[in-house]
Amino acid sequence: MIRIAAAGDLHVGADSEGTLRPALVEIAEDVDAFLLAGDLTKAGLEEEAEVLADEVKGIAVPVVAVLGNHDLHSDQADLVRARLEDVGVIVLEGETHVLHLPGASLGVAGLRGFGGGFAGASATEFGEPEMKRFVRVTIDAASALRACLDRLATDVRVALLHYAPVRDTLHGEPPEIYPFLGSYLLAEAVDTAGCDLVLHGHAHRGTEWGITPGGVPVRNVAQPVIRRAFAVYALDPQTSIDRAASRT
Amino acid sequence: MTDAPGPYREESLRQALATDPRVMEQELDVSIAGGRVVISGTVPTEDRRAAVTEVARERFPDLQIDNRTIVPTLPASGGEERVT
Repeated sequence: MIRIAAAGDLHVGADSEGTLRPALVEIAEDVDAFLLAGDLTKAGLEEEAEVLADEVKGIAVPVVAVLGNHDLHSDQADLVRARLEDVGVIVLEGETHVLHLPGASLGVAGLRGFGGGFAGASATEFGEPEMKRFVRVTIDAASALRACLDRLATDVRVALLHYAPVRDTLHGEPPEIYPFLGSYLLAEAVDTAGCDLVLHGHAHRGTEWGITPGGVPVRNVAQPVIRRAFAVYALDPQTSIDRAASRT
Repeated sequence: MTDAPGPYREESLRQALATDPRVMEQELDVSIAGGRVVISGTVPTEDRRAAVTEVARERFPDLQIDNRTIVPTLPASGGEERVT
């Protein structure tokens, strides 16, 4: 069994020192990896990333992260990424990372994603240049997600996002803001490439549990949603191997 | 102090709470009625909870600020879910 701890929307600021580390002390006893689903910092400042780096430094399991919209706010994403990488955090943006765990391999396809909305009520690449650029960002993100998942030849594959791929995990949010919270294109990429679990954050008033139209479990791990420092998901590699075989 | 006219005052504060560097929380709810500003939602730290009041008071110095935001206690994981 592969056990993954996951959390998003930590919004770490200068005032967050010591808020996460107590919960992480024993994490290695229970899980194989810790995945962070974006909005790691409050304003995307280098000094905020340094606070988070101190919180996760030295924990005994691999930490894999994507950035969120908060982490891009101050145009210091490269510095945020660098400070986290200084302490061994693997930060993904349209990239993959493979963890060779005892008995199975775990592949993580990570990117932030973007908005645009969901089938029947989504933005289209039409009209003003600004609107076309907005939608193009999501189209490109979905393409990158599919390519990442296609590249992963691991026993278990997890998509790590910030934005939501389905409506399910947004229930509780005002429907008017769904287009700013995610896009169906991300789910389409997941269902086309195949995947065992999608993790995302961003929607603080949403719901933890969802599923793509193709049957892939989706979990919103924003801390205000899961109401704990992290959630833990256990995946049976044999189930994933059997599922992948049935797709071919 | 805000100069937003009446119907726009709630949203002007919501926008301020989302963008002011002291708070930067996108999902706080704001309502204004009867001389009282009520703000609710979750914030990660007590400092940011105090900043919510500061920002609201700066924009509406003549109104009562009722800061109902909460700082949730986040226990370590409570068990695991087997995902199939």
